Amino acid sequence: MTAAEAAIRICDVSHQFGEIGQARHVQALKDTSLDIARGELHCLIGPSGCGKSTLLSVIGGLTKPTTGSVTVSGKPVRGPMPHDIAYVFQESALFPWNTVLENIVLGMKFQGVPKAKRRDRARRALEAVGLEAFAQHFPGQLSGGMRQRAALARALSLETDILLMDEPFGALDEQTRMVLGEDLSVLLSRSHKTIVFVTHSLGEAVFLADRVAVFSARPGTIKQIIAVDEPHPRKPSFMTALKFHALRDQLYGLLHDEIRKSIAETAPLRRRYDDTAEKNEGVA
Amino acid sequence: MAVTHPHARTAIVRTEAPLKRWFLRHPGAMRGLVIALLLLIWEFAARFLLDSDFISPPSVVLMSLGTLFATPGVPKALGLALYEIAIGFALAAVIGAGIGLAVGLSRFAHRSFMPIILLLYGLPQVTILPIFVLLFGIGAASKIAFGVSHGMFPIMISVAAGVQKINPVLRTSARSMGASRAQILYHVIFPHAVPSFFTGLRLGMTGVLLGVLLAELYVSTAGIGFFTSLFTQNLEPTRLIGLVAMLAVIAVVLNEIVRRAELHYGRWRA
Ligand SMILES: Nc1ncnc2c1ncn2[C@@H]1O[C@H](COP(=O)(O)OP(=O)(O)OP(=O)(O)O)[C@@H](O)[C@H]1O
Ligand SMILES: [Mg+2]
Repeated sequence: MTAAEAAIRICDVSHQFGEIGQARHVQALKDTSLDIARGELHCLIGPSGCGKSTLLSVIGGLTKPTTGSVTVSGKPVRGPMPHDIAYVFQESALFPWNTVLENIVLGMKFQGVPKAKRRDRARRALEAVGLEAFAQHFPGQLSGGMRQRAALARALSLETDILLMDEPFGALDEQTRMVLGEDLSVLLSRSHKTIVFVTHSLGEAVFLADRVAVFSARPGTIKQIIAVDEPHPRKPSFMTALKFHALRDQLYGLLHDEIRKSIAETAPLRRRYDDTAEKNEGVA
Repeated sequence: MAVTHPHARTAIVRTEAPLKRWFLRHPGAMRGLVIALLLLIWEFAARFLLDSDFISPPSVVLMSLGTLFATPGVPKALGLALYEIAIGFALAAVIGAGIGLAVGLSRFAHRSFMPIILLLYGLPQVTILPIFVLLFGIGAASKIAFGVSHGMFPIMISVAAGVQKINPVLRTSARSMGASRAQILYHVIFPHAVPSFFTGLRLGMTGVLLGVLLAELYVSTAGIGFFTSLFTQNLEPTRLIGLVAMLAVIAVVLNEIVRRAELHYGRWRA
């Protein structure tokens, strides 16, 4: 992929929290390089704590990496780029004291959209996610799925080329997230946005992604990239296709070892528990 | 009796339930009933049990409110007290919210200044009331200042605590959409701190009232303090109680204003 084709170029990004020797020192990302093409939906999948959210916030300019660099549309990322990148966070990041409509309008105000255009664009974004009837509701009055759709509407209203989504449907039940996934696939086929999508769900990754980057256990780095060759918008029938299951199994195979590795860190805990159990038995 | 009339219990439940339900739906009714009962006890005690030199029945106090207001200087004293309380409350709110925000937003400021604030708040300030009078004179200024110094601490402490509890993802998401620091302060931190600000206001209100009235009693050359000692010395409980009742009315009205504002700004939590 040439620099011109890539919407996002990640070059040798490493990130550590805290200093070496400190108790809170964590090497979250290690020598990660990835090119994300314009208009593709790129999923990031990997064991918990491997640095997916960290990578996303490095791309979004919210975290400055320890080493390495990111360029977005050819420009080096030095801080938030609200005109190029919109974000959907894992938990609802809607302002609870504003109505759904006010939330969307406020996002555009932050971004610098002229006042006259805000309401119109907000209405259109709400229609795109099917929430126009809930414009005057407060986030606390919506279900979890509706809240995430509202957050998606706010991100869409910013009309950026790039959308970063950090487990946006992670807290939702499986049926809801499948339906939202279909909607997202339809939306993607219409809007030609570049989307980076973090997920823990193998099915979601295969169903949504054009390519899936599989991360190793912490310190996270990309282990393999799998392409899903299927045009958007994807139909639910894709989920029963042979190709779908083959890819899902391949992903699981890649992830399985890494997840074992990341769980291994907690094994001493289990052993300690066994010790005390034995001791208690001895006393009894 | 329940044994001889097996249906008596259900009959009682049937007649009681609607009344109970009515009371549950009208919390104001029970409140009114309790207040009426207390007034009745007071009325009875004042008329038949206690010395009329020291206490008057509420009915007499109410009937003679006219003569209270006809006492030269009393309306002016009440007006002055209202003025001192209102100004003191406004200043306490501004200073308390300002310092509370500053202390709550900066980890450094919090660690440096919060212990000092807590220490000052815990201090019995009555002991330094003479210093206030020396600094601010015997006019309204010292009373307002004493009211402010009582009212601002609870506002400060609850605002500082409220600001700290903010969900970091809200700030991050505002930043990702391009919000400036001022916009984050105005659109994210302020609204988040509103509920704790109102909690502080309610607590601070009591403090301001206490501070102003303590100072009034201490510097009793004119104003409420003067009249309370005058009425006490002349054994005029009717007018004394009437005066105190008027102060209570001021407190209730201010509290109601704060409550209305709180309801308005807290709509999203309903
Ligand atoms: N602000 C921080 N300070 C210190 N360590 C952090 C911080 N944020 C993240 N980390 C650490 O960095 C590592 C990677 O975190 P990150 O949130 O990127 O993981 P993740 O892959 O998104 O995990 P999950 O799938 O559970 O969301 C974790 O071990 C975490 O403990
Ligand atoms: Mg994460």
